[in-house]
Amino acid sequence: MRGATKVRWAACAVAVALAATACGGGDGDGGGSGGGADGIVSSSWGDPQNPLEPANTNEVQGGKVLDMVFRGLIRYDPKTGEAKNMIAESIDSTDSQNFTIKLKDGWTFSNGEKVTANSFVDAWNYGAALKNNQKNAYFFQYIEGYDEVHPESGSASAETMSGLKVVDDLTFTAKLTQKFSLWPDTLGYSAFVPLPKAFYDDHDAWLSKPVGNGPYTIESYAKGSSMNLRRWDDYPGDDKAKNGGVDLKVFTDNNTAYTDLTAGNLDLVDDVPASQLRNVEADLGDRYINTPAGIIQTLAFPFYEEEWDTDDARKVRQGLSMAINRPQITDQIFQKTRTPASDWTSPVLGEEGGFKEGLCGKECTYNKDEAKKLIDEGGGIPGGQLKISYNADTGSHKEWVDAVCNSINNVMGNNKACVGGPVGTFADFRAQVSTQKLTSAWRAGWQMDYPLIQNFLQPLYYTNAPSNDGKWSNQQFDDLVDKANAESDKAKAITTFQDAEKILVTEMPVIPLWYQNGSAGYSDRVDNVALNPFSVPVYEEITVK
Amino acid sequence: MPDTTALTKSTDASAAAAQTPSTTDTGPLPGKPRSLWSDAWHDLRRNPLFLVSMVLILLLTVMAIFPGLFTSASPRDANLAEHYLQKPNWGHFFAPDWLGYDVQGRSIYARLIYGARASIMVGVIVTIAVTVTGLVIGMLAGYFGGWIDTILSRITDVFFGVPFIVGAMVILTTFEERSVWVVILSLSFLGWTSIARVARGSVITIKQADYVVAAKALGASTTRIMARHILPNAIAPVIVVATIALGGYIAAEATLSFLGIGLAEPTVSWGIDVSAAKDQLRNVPTVLIIPSVMVSITVLSFLMFGDAVRNALDPKMR
Repeated sequence: MRGATKVRWAACAVAVALAATACGGGDGDGGGSGGGADGIVSSSWGDPQNPLEPANTNEVQGGKVLDMVFRGLIRYDPKTGEAKNMIAESIDSTDSQNFTIKLKDGWTFSNGEKVTANSFVDAWNYGAALKNNQKNAYFFQYIEGYDEVHPESGSASAETMSGLKVVDDLTFTAKLTQKFSLWPDTLGYSAFVPLPKAFYDDHDAWLSKPVGNGPYTIESYAKGSSMNLRRWDDYPGDDKAKNGGVDLKVFTDNNTAYTDLTAGNLDLVDDVPASQLRNVEADLGDRYINTPAGIIQTLAFPFYEEEWDTDDARKVRQGLSMAINRPQITDQIFQKTRTPASDWTSPVLGEEGGFKEGLCGKECTYNKDEAKKLIDEGGGIPGGQLKISYNADTGSHKEWVDAVCNSINNVMGNNKACVGGPVGTFADFRAQVSTQKLTSAWRAGWQMDYPLIQNFLQPLYYTNAPSNDGKWSNQQFDDLVDKANAESDKAKAITTFQDAEKILVTEMPVIPLWYQNGSAGYSDRVDNVALNPFSVPVYEEITVK
Repeated sequence: MPDTTALTKSTDASAAAAQTPSTTDTGPLPGKPRSLWSDAWHDLRRNPLFLVSMVLILLLTVMAIFPGLFTSASPRDANLAEHYLQKPNWGHFFAPDWLGYDVQGRSIYARLIYGARASIMVGVIVTIAVTVTGLVIGMLAGYFGGWIDTILSRITDVFFGVPFIVGAMVILTTFEERSVWVVILSLSFLGWTSIARVARGSVITIKQADYVVAAKALGASTTRIMARHILPNAIAPVIVVATIALGGYIAAEATLSFLGIGLAEPTVSWGIDVSAAKDQLRNVPTVLIIPSVMVSITVLSFLMFGDAVRNALDPKMR
């Protein structure tokens, strides 16, 4: 969610003025100090929404920093997304419900404190506790005792989760409320990282300059403008930073960041705006990356509105899905930085991870005649007009929403069958979505928290799940998800999740649109730039020439 | 020549210059007595500025009422596959592909023609609404004076203090459906203040004129005095201010639509098109330039028109 379209021109003018001053000093490399192994990379950034507490950061920008400053039990391979042990020596279970976690010896925080079992258990208890009001608290919901420390209503009846027990310095056990064979694979999410004692002892000081156990340490942080990270030379892991540090600079508009990159004032932009894609070749040549990321865009519907929760409306939704010419929109509007979706997950999961190309089949393939037939059979669009709400401030959604509407209008032979409904700001838009104010469709998107098929299904479509904004509910789907979670064999669990996903084809609670790619451009000062499956740059691998 | 026509003429002239009262009067040509209006028309007909702007305004008005005369293409027909950002084909005059296609694959020429309706509608209706509102308030305040004047003038001041565009933005954001009428309402709600001030000033000057005093002495009713003597003589400066403001309202509509809080799809508006095209400046500049030029031409022709009318009605400018 970046790019404030409204103030684009003004922002450009300011940026040009600032850049001019910066260049006036004669140092045109964007704040970097020399090259080689100690060279500093300057990169675009957005202001994090929340303070940088790991369990309170659920958006990309803050997550970027946590990924540099922290290491958890598990780390997702930057290339394949595969979950690999990092600090964990082993995570074992015989029944998919009781887990024993053993830590590797020799890990410390950058302030010298040892990383122990308590560093994890205390951090998780902090993140789950109701009084700490952490946004990611629900990630701990599978651990036994979560209901006592974070009840849905009323006050907490316990301080710590009973399911977590420290055995010794390097061992702890976790008991879950249900069988969940893939649980260890979720532990790479930033909410599960260990925290040093300083986090609790002097919370404010920690917030202004977070201390972690990752390859970088934070040198300085100016809220709203920049953060300077430097390599931690004594980092014990094997993914030591290959550059001297990273200077993150806040941009409110990715067009401005792109302009700064082409002007040589910035080394890395990790979100190239769609409107600049036609110039990328000329501006950057091969210094442009476009790789699949774990993000899917969808159209969601209000099932709390009676007229959308009928069997007729189900047909209409299927018809609408077939009325959208996905390849045309991804090719033209998005210049191939999106891939037409044919299931509800993401290609980054891989075939073994549960991604199945074409799972949705003909229901997600453009078919003009069939689409119109289904919509007419279903009694037409509820309310007579489909209004797709979107936020008008960031992310340039207008173009594709209009294109989707045009596609539907062409099918229906009616210029006003579908219209876009701009909502001023992202905050307002999210408020309307989460308080069930919208009565027609809205744009929705999901960026995975961890590369598991479970993460693409359960939080979004399970009855009353935290991100099930449309309040869709299907007993059969819920049962299959429960069954999949209880499955001790990973491959079986994934096929069961896929069975659950097949229900979405007929019910169509949301219409899958396209998989989003991550895009980045970089300057000729740096090399070895790559994006991980979360579309975040792999900073520690970047080398400076 | 102390005939009545000349007397009216003389007072009319000072009324026209009510903002800065002046008695300079070049007078009509000897022989044939003429009113302020026929005099103004005499001037306007010979003013190239007026003729050019009049032609443009007529053209735009026809475009707004009968867009089908100019193009057979629909402004909402989108063909992404074939026409995404297609460059202009300058040789194909008035064909759908003449000026190229926008990001949605819609004919820019068709959108240019159909966009006139929203702009002209907003401009003309807002102008009429603010003129009527402003005239009524200004005349009441000016004619009756006293506490009525105090109250109405302070209300005018309050509205005058609200920044025009910001105020319109605030009003518009409270509406969920933003049609042309909502934009018209928000602009009219804030735009009448300058008209009211001009009308009030003009009425205050005229109400002391001999013929008004005479009418009063003869026992004419207030309504009759207002309608027969005050209004016809006070309206000239109001018309000048209103015609010049018209261009401003069109620009305001485009501005609000550009910011995404004025008109919304599927209404066709140049402001929306400029906004949608702004990221394409480096790729296909014509997508941005064509609707922008259209806004400029329209605003300019109404400003030129207003300017010409002012020159004709204000003897000081002769």
